[in-house]
Amino acid sequence: MVTQVIRCPKCKSTITVMGSPGERVSVTCPTCGEKGFYVFPGPQTIEQAPESSAIIVRNLTKSYKDFKAVDTVSFAVKKGEIFGFLGPNGAGKTTTIKAILDLIHADQGEIHINGINVRTQGKKAREFVGYMPEQVAFYDNLTALQNLRFYAEMKHASKDECERLIEQVGLGDAGKKKVGAFSKGMVQRLGMARAMLGSPPIMILDEPSGGLDPRGVVLVRDIILDLKKKGVSIFISSHILSEIQEICDRVGIINKGHLVAQDTVDNLGKKLHLKPQITVTVEKMSPSIEQAIHKVPKVDQVTVTGNTLEIICDAGTKAAVILAISTAGGNIINLQMKEPSLEEVFMRFTEA
Amino acid sequence: MRTDTVISIAKKEIMDNIRNKWIILVSIMFAALTLVVSYFGSITSHGWQDLGLTISGMTSFATYLISIIAFMLGYATIIGEIERGSMSALLSLAATRFEIVVGKFLGLGAVLCFTVLVGFGFAGIVIGVNGSNVDYLQYMTFIGMTMIFGLVFLSISLCFSTVFSKRSTALGGTIFLWFLFVIILPIVFVGLLATSVDFTKITTGTTLAIPEWYYVLILFNPIDVYSSLITVTIGPVTSSIGGLIPNPSWYSPGLLLGVLLIWIVVFFALAVWRFNRKDV
Repeated sequence: MVTQVIRCPKCKSTITVMGSPGERVSVTCPTCGEKGFYVFPGPQTIEQAPESSAIIVRNLTKSYKDFKAVDTVSFAVKKGEIFGFLGPNGAGKTTTIKAILDLIHADQGEIHINGINVRTQGKKAREFVGYMPEQVAFYDNLTALQNLRFYAEMKHASKDECERLIEQVGLGDAGKKKVGAFSKGMVQRLGMARAMLGSPPIMILDEPSGGLDPRGVVLVRDIILDLKKKGVSIFISSHILSEIQEICDRVGIINKGHLVAQDTVDNLGKKLHLKPQITVTVEKMSPSIEQAIHKVPKVDQVTVTGNTLEIICDAGTKAAVILAISTAGGNIINLQMKEPSLEEVFMRFTEA
Repeated sequence: MRTDTVISIAKKEIMDNIRNKWIILVSIMFAALTLVVSYFGSITSHGWQDLGLTISGMTSFATYLISIIAFMLGYATIIGEIERGSMSALLSLAATRFEIVVGKFLGLGAVLCFTVLVGFGFAGIVIGVNGSNVDYLQYMTFIGMTMIFGLVFLSISLCFSTVFSKRSTALGGTIFLWFLFVIILPIVFVGLLATSVDFTKITTGTTLAIPEWYYVLILFNPIDVYSSLITVTIGPVTSSIGGLIPNPSWYSPGLLLGVLLIWIVVFFALAVWRFNRKDV
């Protein structure tokens, strides 16, 4: 049993909660009555993760002096999936990524890439990985093509591939320009090209869309989806939650060094009891319509504004709500449904 | 260790330094300085001195210049890349830390040696064409020893580049180190020597009785080792005391060269050891 002191997101008063590592407990603020939940940090068990997973991280812990940047983090990235790694600034995302690549030395834990232990066979493990760091940097005195050729030599990739990749990331005309003259977005695109050198089966992308213009964001997203089609496993960290929700199969959320959640966005929404919102506009509003909706089980909230109704209910109740409106004589002229977003999931998991 | 990875890194270092015109600038500086020392270096005669006298005059300049240049080349080579973020990409491309340190040392060493060879070599040809007493073998020996001396300071700066966590502190540390070897250590050694030698007896042609421990002590400063090496192999060079001191009979070229190589190996090994433990 673990005791944890958390802060109420509404009134900011402190609450003491008790539970086991990994357990999710309901919490009611004794001061303001706000209801919510708290998930106790790991260790998460990933015994089920097959050894054939692209990346396996077990009980990773890394401290800087007295500060625990990452605390007993465990997760697995399946082969061929896109795994989104989310967390607020300073949550431990980059530390985790660097530990996966053995760029920093973990205090404890075990990391496998394609079944190879990173700590003991780091060089061999990294041969399977294409990495795009958060802070993309090149040699400013060399051209884009010279830079890429240098990395291609290191990765034993062909020189033709460099030119093809420069074209693919939209830098065709700038290949012979010195990188020192590049904008941040151009450097970022070149970083994506470098990560793809040698067609690695696993890609680790740390904020790949940072500094890109909207066209660049779309380009990178398309490249990622194209890589997934080719069976590449992708581990991606990003702050653009809408993008992550759109492209990722599963997400992991890290907060204050602890992995607080990992699953599909839908499943995380269900775990949080996040409910869909239905917005219905009827031709003519009447009190009987509102009464009919209230009679439907598992309807949490109904708000009427003019001829528009906003209803928050369980996912399985949506059809019953619409039927109730029709039965009560409501002629539906507009209907919108909003599923729980990753943003809501993220905010809830990182609020404590 | 993969040789092709090491060669790729070394090649990149050379290309980077060619691109930023470092090599050209430093080579011109070496050549110009050597020509100036040879032409204006003697107060007893005007015009071109022979190569032997030029070497004697150049050795003290070389100690200052080569050490500074080697430090400037190496002080940020590891920490600079870590700070900029390019080191993480390099390591992620399946290069080991050992391969990176070896590649960088070889690449920067080649840059340093090339500038010494081209700068001094060009000046040597000019002096040879105009001067009377030309011993190219002796001059090439000087160039070779100067390269090794440069590699000592490159190794030291490479090590320092792995010790500090910021480029700015590495620069500060390197400047301190340069003062340590060029100014502080010679003063400390001379101060210690003054406890057993009467310096008031120094006059032209006087041979001082230097205690044996002093000769052992100065092996801990590569600048003194280099000066002694040039003296032993080529001819007398002004010492850090400011006058001519005799070398002991046990100072052989092999020993002094060996000491310089030990400096290179020790600091190189320390650089590898430290970098292996460093978070990137």
